[in-house]
Amino acid sequence: MILLELTLYFMLLSLISVAGMPSILPELQRYVVDVKGWISPEEFIQIFAVGQAAPGPNILITSLIGWKVAGLGGALAALAAMCGPAAVLAWWVAEAWERFKDKPWRIAAQRAMSPVVVALILSGGFILATPGAPDWRLWLIAAASATGMLATKVSPLWFLAAGGAIGGFLLS
Amino acid sequence: MQVSPPRSLGELFLGFLSIGARSFGGVMPWAHRVMVEERRWMTEADFAETIGLCQFLPGPNIGNASIVVGKRWFGVRGSLVAFLGLFALPFVWVLALFALYADFAATNPVLRAVVTGVGAAGAGLFIGTAIKLGRVLARRPAALALIAACFVAAGVARMSLFIVLPIALVLAYACARKGLL
Repeated sequence: MILLELTLYFMLLSLISVAGMPSILPELQRYVVDVKGWISPEEFIQIFAVGQAAPGPNILITSLIGWKVAGLGGALAALAAMCGPAAVLAWWVAEAWERFKDKPWRIAAQRAMSPVVVALILSGGFILATPGAPDWRLWLIAAASATGMLATKVSPLWFLAAGGAIGGFLLS
Repeated sequence: MQVSPPRSLGELFLGFLSIGARSFGGVMPWAHRVMVEERRWMTEADFAETIGLCQFLPGPNIGNASIVVGKRWFGVRGSLVAFLGLFALPFVWVLALFALYADFAATNPVLRAVVTGVGAAGAGLFIGTAIKLGRVLARRPAALALIAACFVAAGVARMSLFIVLPIALVLAYACARKGLL
């Protein structure tokens, strides 16, 4: 039953995942942690961490949630549900959408997306760094990695590694 | 530049398999390397256009890109093959890594702390990305107001995205049509 619920929910989420995984992170966290209680806030940030550190499309964190909730079947169902509806949409509309490239409504739609996506990515980062009560140590790590990313051009993996090292010191 | 699309489904599969296999620290740079530089399936401009389109559609960008380019060359079979090639190895790796982690983390609080630190750093990368993208919009008061309102609703008040997104998009679209964005 949980598997069915997870699959249907992810299929809906797939259709509103504008600009990919980052923008649905707030909703994902809200649903699986706050509403359903399938995963604890601490587990959520750890799942996210493993998903970020592993190679591959970051949408795979939804597979980890599926795995956690319903095992291997859950992992496969989560990935298929997260990608399927959006993939079908891409398959049908990609070319049509290209044809409308110069239409004013398409240009407006594209512009309209940017601030919304920015706000959702910001929300995702904020929610991840604030599992439960505000913790200055997590905020410190997040602020340091955000600053580092904006100030330098090195691979993001270095910031993840540094975050891990600081986390090992401060959080244990 | 001479481009030559993949000649067989096998070649398409192997190309996407090698993108997925090597994609440490982000898939996009590897997608570019394989499709444009190594295998020369498409031109630079073509790649940029395809990715731009996929960023706009819902769903994982690179997943959508595999569907779109697979379809271009081999129809439905191409889409499926490219998608499966892309996800096959990363899917196994991420589960294996997590299983390994879960095994050790149960008895090791330091490991849990390290991984939580990685997560917090990842959260910081999201915040950094939002700031980077938001800078371009900062000259437009309407854009800043939208970002603030949407952040309060989704991030602080934790309202459902199924409510926040339609309202935000309609408002943003109205602003864009009036030339405010």
